[in-house]
Amino acid sequence: MTGSVRLSRRPLSMASAARALAGPDLGGVVVFAGRVRRDRRGPARVRAIDYEVHPGPALEVMRRLDRDARRRYGAEEVVLWHRVGRVPAGEIAVIVGVAAGHRAPAFAAARYLIDVLKRTVPIWKTERARSGRRPRGRRHPPTGRSSG
Amino acid sequence: MVRAVRVLLFATARTAVGRRELEWTVPPEGIQASELARELATAFPKLAPTLRASRLVRNGHPVDRPTTRIRPGDEFAVHPPYGGG
Repeated sequence: MTGSVRLSRRPLSMASAARALAGPDLGGVVVFAGRVRRDRRGPARVRAIDYEVHPGPALEVMRRLDRDARRRYGAEEVVLWHRVGRVPAGEIAVIVGVAAGHRAPAFAAARYLIDVLKRTVPIWKTERARSGRRPRGRRHPPTGRSSG
Repeated sequence: MVRAVRVLLFATARTAVGRRELEWTVPPEGIQASELARELATAFPKLAPTLRASRLVRNGHPVDRPTTRIRPGDEFAVHPPYGGG
């Protein structure tokens, strides 16, 4: 078991995640990436999202999710990476990856991880508009501006 | 002698107070989590609505009872609803 839980100020790589999930006995691999996307509503376009984190508790919860994915779904390898700090539109904010023996547990575990991560890991986001301020009419914390 | 609790404020709690962190003096025997939250809401009225919707976290672990005692030297964090991903 080589669980991989990470908070990073540097760009995240899908290729690195796929490498971390490699294994000759792992027939099902799912890698999900959530990217910051531009807000197309209203005059102020979102240019970035600032991610704020309480690191100790966040990593503890992420490690627990890693264990849960293995125990409940049979995940053999897990990647759970999240950016912190300012993430420009178009860049990846979160990667969730699972490798398992077959596709069904890999899909189920990946879905579980991203859904529960968003609800339970102490990470917050603030949208930044072109001016560096929050877009008008949006209150913190915004929802649904990234990860699909 | 340490008499203060280190209060960490995130997201809407931080913007309501205008600071990321506070040193909050408490009695040597400590104070209940609910009482500390009330003191903070009184001192920073804009924080009150956020506090009602937030999880309270002591030394990295969720406060599961309002009577949990927060002692000098503890870290006490205000976690508004999460929004990662």
